[in-house]
Amino acid sequence: MLSHIPDCIELVDYIDDGEQARHYLFRLLNLAHSKNKNHPHHWQQVQPGQFFMLNVPSIGEAPFTFTEPPNERGEFKAFIRQMGQVTSTLFSMQRGAILGARGPFGRGWPLDKIVNHNTLIIAGGCGLAPLVTLIDKLTNNSPDKPTDKLANKAKNKQQLILVYGARNKAAQMLTPERARWQKQIKIFNTLDATDEYTSTNANTRANTSDNTRANNSNELRATTVQGSPLMILPTALSTFTRPPTTALLCGPELMMSSAATYLTEHGMTSDAIFLALERRMHCALGLCGHCYIKHQYVCKSGPTFSWQALQQLKAD
Amino acid sequence: MKIYLLDDLQHLQAHLAQDYQFHQVVTNNNGQYHWQQLASDETQPLVHDKPQSSAKGFFFAEQESLLVFNGEYFQETLPTPKPFVLFGVQSCDLTAIHYQDKFFKDDRYYQARRQQCLLVGLDCINPCEHGFCPTVNAGPGVREEHADIVLHPLGHKWLVIEQTSKAAEALQALALIETHWHYLTQRDLTLHQCEQKFPDDKYITDGIKKLNSGTITDEFWQTLAIQCRGCSGCTTLCPTCSCYGTRAIKQDNNAFSQQRFWDSCLYEGFQREASFNNPSAEAGTRVERFWQHKFADEFFTEFSRHSCVGCGRCEQTCPGVIGVHSVMKRITKEGGQENGPEVTHA
Ligand SMILES: Cc1cc2nc3c(=O)[nH]c(=O)nc-3n(C[C@H](O)[C@H](O)[C@H](O)COP(=O)(O)OP(=O)(O)OC[C@H]3O[C@@H](n4cnc5c(N)ncnc54)[C@H](O)[C@@H]3O)c2cc1C
Ligand code: SF4
Ligand code: SF4
Ligand code: FES
Repeated sequence: MLSHIPDCIELVDYIDDGEQARHYLFRLLNLAHSKNKNHPHHWQQVQPGQFFMLNVPSIGEAPFTFTEPPNERGEFKAFIRQMGQVTSTLFSMQRGAILGARGPFGRGWPLDKIVNHNTLIIAGGCGLAPLVTLIDKLTNNSPDKPTDKLANKAKNKQQLILVYGARNKAAQMLTPERARWQKQIKIFNTLDATDEYTSTNANTRANTSDNTRANNSNELRATTVQGSPLMILPTALSTFTRPPTTALLCGPELMMSSAATYLTEHGMTSDAIFLALERRMHCALGLCGHCYIKHQYVCKSGPTFSWQALQQLKAD
Repeated sequence: MKIYLLDDLQHLQAHLAQDYQFHQVVTNNNGQYHWQQLASDETQPLVHDKPQSSAKGFFFAEQESLLVFNGEYFQETLPTPKPFVLFGVQSCDLTAIHYQDKFFKDDRYYQARRQQCLLVGLDCINPCEHGFCPTVNAGPGVREEHADIVLHPLGHKWLVIEQTSKAAEALQALALIETHWHYLTQRDLTLHQCEQKFPDDKYITDGIKKLNSGTITDEFWQTLAIQCRGCSGCTTLCPTCSCYGTRAIKQDNNAFSQQRFWDSCLYEGFQREASFNNPSAEAGTRVERFWQHKFADEFFTEFSRHSCVGCGRCEQTCPGVIGVHSVMKRITKEGGQENGPEVTHA
C-alpha cells in the first residue's frame, strides 16, 4: 500500500459552504476487490482524523481529511477550502470529472481515550474538518449508524463540548454539521471580528454561558461570543458536569499551543491533550521530507500528536 | 566470502562491461572527477579520487516520472534499467547507499534501480581532501555489507573480495584463482595506516555531542545561517539527502505525468503551506534541520548510524563556508556558549 499511485475517483457532487469552501462527494471507481468481507479493503478502514492525498492530474496532489469515510459503495466526503493550485483547479472541475486518491494515511484520533471520556474539542476555522467524522461517530450521526456500537456505547456516558473559533461569520465552516451536532452537544462559537459580531449576534453577546439565548431553535445549544476560543475556555470547562479527561485541538498552531498550555495549567495532563498538525505534504509516505517536525514526519507519526509527545519532540 | 588476486584490473573491467552497463569515475578536461558510462573497449584506469557527485542519482533519480494519467486511470511508470555495475565506489558513498537502501526500502522506483546494480567497492588507502570517514564509521575500508565486490590495491596487483552471491555470479566466468587469507590481514593493516593519516578532527566528535546535548541556541543557528545562500549545493551533493518535491507535467494527447525531483530543506519555501504559514521560515531553523538530520541521535536509533558519512562534499561546495568542518568547529567553539563551558573529553 506504500505507493505513489492513486485509485481513480469520480467527483460526484459538491455544495458551497462558507468562504471559498465546499463539501465534496467523491466515489472510488474500482472497489471490486473490496467485496470480500473477510478482507476489508483499506479504504473501508478509515479512522477519524486520518487523511487522503487528492490527485488532480493536471496539477498535483494535496492532503485532505475525510469528513465522511468511504461507504460500501466507495463514496466519501471531504470539506475543501480553495487555497492554491490544486484546490483552485479542483474548484473549476465539473461533476463527473475523474481524479485520484491515495490513502488512508496517518494516525487518527486516539479513540480509546475519547469514547466514554468527557471530551473538550477546540477547533479553529478549517480545523474543524478533521474532527467531523469523530464528532459524527460520538453523536451517533455517522452514516454507518445501525452497526455503530461504538457510538451507542459512548452516547450516554460521556459529555462532549465543542469550542469553535472563526475570524468572522463568513469564515465559519461546516454549517450543516454544526447544525446537526448542536441538537446533541453544547457548542460555543467564537468570532474574532467585532463588527461582524455586533451586526449579527448582538443579542447573545452579553451572556457567554447562556445556551438558551439564541433565537433560532436550531441553535438551541450553541452560544456565539466575540473573542478567541481561549477566552471561552473557562466557561466551556465549567459547563462540564465532571471535568473533561481528554481534549482534542485542531486549528492554527498558535491557537492550539495556547489552548494546550491553558488546559495543562487548569488540571489536564499533557498526555490527555491531542493536537492535529498541518504540514506541507508531497508524498504521505514518510519519504519526501516536507512534513518534518524534528526527526518525525507528520504524515506518518501524525497528524495527531499528544501535547506530551510534541513537547518531548521540541525538547529533543 | 572468497578472495582473489588479480594482476590486471582491465581484465575485470572488460569482463563486467560485457555483461553490465559499466559506470566508473573518470577525469574530465577540467581535472574534475565524475561518474561516466564506458563501453567494454573504452575502460580506463581506476582513479582513486572521490567523484564530485556521489552515486545517489543512480538509484534516487534527480528527476523521474512516478506515474502517468491518461484521462481514465493512473499508471505506474517504474524504471526498467538494464543490469549495471558501479565500478570503484568509495566506502563513504557505499555507506550512503546502504543508508538509502534502508530509507527507500519500500520505494519501488529506488528499488527497481537498486536491484539491477552490482556494486564494486574500492578501499581508500589515502585520506581524501575534507574526508573524515573513520570518525563517522564509514571508511576508509569498504564495510562488509556495503558492496558485492571489494577492490583493494596491493601495489601493482589487486585484491578482489567477493562478498555476495550476486558477485559470485558476476565473476564466475573469469575463473579467478582464490588466494591466501593473509592478504586480508595485510588489507586491515593498510586501512589502519590510512586511518592514522587523517587529520585530527576531535571537533567533529565534540560537535556531534554538543549538537545532541540540546544546548545549542536558536541565535547560534541564526547567526550561522546568515552565510547560507539557500543554493542547495550541500543537499544536492550530500549522498544521504533524500528530500523531493512533486509536480505534474503535461504530455501529448492530454495525458499528464507526475514527476518527483530533488528538493532542498534549505529552500525558504520548502515547508511553506498554502496559507503562507511556514514552520521553517527562519533560515536558522532550516540550517539546524540539515545538521540535525546528519547528526541527531534520534536518526541514529532508526538507522544504526548517523546519516553523515564523512565525505566532506558539503565543505567543498558551500560558498558560504558552512560545510561540515566549519560548522562543527563553530558548534564546539560558540554553539550554546551561554549555557555552559565548551564540551571537553574526559
Ligand atoms: C493532514 C492534513 C489534512 C488536511 N485536511 C484539509 C481539509 O480537510 N480541508 C482543507 O481545505 N484543507 C486541508 N488541509 C490543507 C490542504 O492540504 C492545503 O490547503 C492544500 O494542500 C493546498 O493545496 P493547493 O495546491 O491548493 O495550494 P498551493 O499553495 O498551490 O500548494 C502546492 C502544494 O503544496 C502542498 N501544500 C501546500 N499547503 C499545504 C498544507 N497546508 N498542507 C499540506 N500540503 C500543503 C501540497 O502538496 C500542494 O499541492 C489539510 C492538510 C493536512 C496536512
Ligand atoms: S571520505 Fe573516506 S571513504 Fe570517502 S573518499 Fe574520502 S577517504 Fe575515501
Ligand atoms: S553532511 Fe557533508 S560530509 Fe556529511 S555526508 Fe553530507 S555532504 Fe558528506
Ligand atoms: S508528506 Fe512526504 S514525508 Fe510526509
